[in-house]
Amino acid sequence: MGITVQQVIFVCLAAIVLGAALFVVTTRNLFRGALMLALAFLGVAGFYVLLDLGLFAVAQVMIYIGAISILIIFSVMLTCGMQAMIPRNAQAGGVAILAALLFVLLALVFGPVRLTLDLTGVPLLSTLFRTETPRVVGDVPWRYNTQAVAETYISDFGRALVDINQFLLPFLLIAFLVDVVLAGAILIARQRKPAEVLAEQQEIAAEEAAEAAALRTAEGAPAMPSTAAATVADH
Amino acid sequence: MDVISNLLKIISDFVAELIRSIFGFSPFLAELITMGLAAVVLATFAALSFMGLTYVERKVVARIQDRIGPNQAGPFGLLQPIADGIKMFTKEDTTPAAADRWVYNLAPLVIAVFALTTYAVLPFAPGVVGTNLNVGVFFILAIGSGSIIAILMAGWGSNNKYALLGAFRTVAQLVGYEVPMLLNLLPVVMLTGSMSLIDIVNHQTTLDGNPGIPHIIYLPLSALVFLISGVAETGRSPFDLLEAESEIVAGFHTEYSGMKFALFFLGEYVNALAVSFVFATLFLGGYAGPILPPYIWLLLKAALVFFVLMWLRGTLPRVRIDQMHNLNWKFLVPMSIVNLVLVMLALKLFPASAAAQAASGGVLVSPGAQAVILMLINLAVLLVSLSLVGRAARRLRMQEEALLAQRRAANMAMARA
Repeated sequence: MGITVQQVIFVCLAAIVLGAALFVVTTRNLFRGALMLALAFLGVAGFYVLLDLGLFAVAQVMIYIGAISILIIFSVMLTCGMQAMIPRNAQAGGVAILAALLFVLLALVFGPVRLTLDLTGVPLLSTLFRTETPRVVGDVPWRYNTQAVAETYISDFGRALVDINQFLLPFLLIAFLVDVVLAGAILIARQRKPAEVLAEQQEIAAEEAAEAAALRTAEGAPAMPSTAAATVADH
Repeated sequence: MDVISNLLKIISDFVAELIRSIFGFSPFLAELITMGLAAVVLATFAALSFMGLTYVERKVVARIQDRIGPNQAGPFGLLQPIADGIKMFTKEDTTPAAADRWVYNLAPLVIAVFALTTYAVLPFAPGVVGTNLNVGVFFILAIGSGSIIAILMAGWGSNNKYALLGAFRTVAQLVGYEVPMLLNLLPVVMLTGSMSLIDIVNHQTTLDGNPGIPHIIYLPLSALVFLISGVAETGRSPFDLLEAESEIVAGFHTEYSGMKFALFFLGEYVNALAVSFVFATLFLGGYAGPILPPYIWLLLKAALVFFVLMWLRGTLPRVRIDQMHNLNWKFLVPMSIVNLVLVMLALKLFPASAAAQAASGGVLVSPGAQAVILMLINLAVLLVSLSLVGRAARRLRMQEEALLAQRRAANMAMARA
């Protein structure tokens, strides 16, 4: 035999993910493309299940299908003329080359053929990867053995996020970023008082009038009462 | 007695043994087949309960509204679901000419699949669970967010502006109400120290299998907000804005007929039943209970929650969309966040287990004392938030009344002049 059930499932999942991804980049119907992207995300969640990482599988479904796919679908729906228009992609060739390069890089880093690179002499990278022995890119200890995931991986993961020696700083930065984004969204979408809106419009009109006047004086033309500014202020 | 209370477990073991011994399959294959059978049984249970629930709901809502409800088909109208089913099967299956065929036809299927998937993690009795996921609570939430995609597919695929409007509303509502739902699942998870639904049930059971303190006593506020957001997540009245028939025809399923419409309906009922089961498991002690077998207890508790859902549907009018969002973002979410932080602090300061005390210090208290402390915190948060909202509403009303009085005085003055 030699073929385990896990391998069969892996191949099926990989076929789903790759097929869906191929559909996404070739279809002209953006809505269907977005749906297929969601299917590809679901397939990736399947890989996590295969790796015994339930938490990451569920997080994948929640974040990528429940949030990001919906955001993409929404932007497709709200884009003007999306149904009538047949979008064309002028950058397909460049993106294909980039993707191929990325694939080669990943294959070299993680694949059976190892790319070894000595970083001792490189100015910035050698300080980043400061270790006793010269750090070698491409010799990442990538675990693809059959070692089972520890039972406590969820709490280990949680502790790693709040451990000052591990990921506390990135975690706080992301939390800060999310807070800023939330505050910004509230600021943009808040209900404004009519007086506030009026004042803002008048301010803009006044600025425009001043600019127009400055332009005219610069051109040497005689200044005229700005009727355009007045109409804006009337609104 | 033991046989009855372990009935489901005994049957499943028997079937597994049968497959293994008679057909001579390997243990792995036998387990695979048993799991497949269990999935079929679960899905059939959910689909059949959908049939029963349509009848029960129509009867209950009719009673609430002083009507009789279905009473023509069979005794007490009991055959009504079958009549409905025949009608659905024989109806013409229409597709709009400009529909996106693939998306349009897939949407009902996807929604039914996502609705049925929730049942995979529900523990029905000790040892009777589809899969004991150690992230069960999170899984239920994720599946709920997946059904949004199905509704979007239906709304877009129909190529109908009412359907699209319904889909837009769905996203706003379902994504919005996921936030308070998550925020009120977290206290339960923190209290239990696990996201597995079985561990959560065990936490509400004493060590010798008797029912302990249910979480609704620990966290009454979380239970209330979870129920409200559960109703909103399933899109049932008073939050049925996605299919508000007085505003947008039938929302996202305007164009669907026959069996596809029935699948949407199934999705709604199966989701509502799943919310009832999850609520019963998280807050009412799950299958724990005296005398009666565990699965009967779970069904009784879920039926009680479903009755509350029907009661809400029969009593409350549909809210407006701005009211729905105001309730969520300006009331439920801030209140839940404050509650979450306070519960977190209380759990650190007053741990109920020696292990938790060893990890974070604090005063070791008995589970009963912990329950009282948490309940007091919950009730205090609820009262303070309600009084804050009440005060804000009163201020607004006073302003409006003052304005009205001013206007009236001006009118009087004009009339006199």
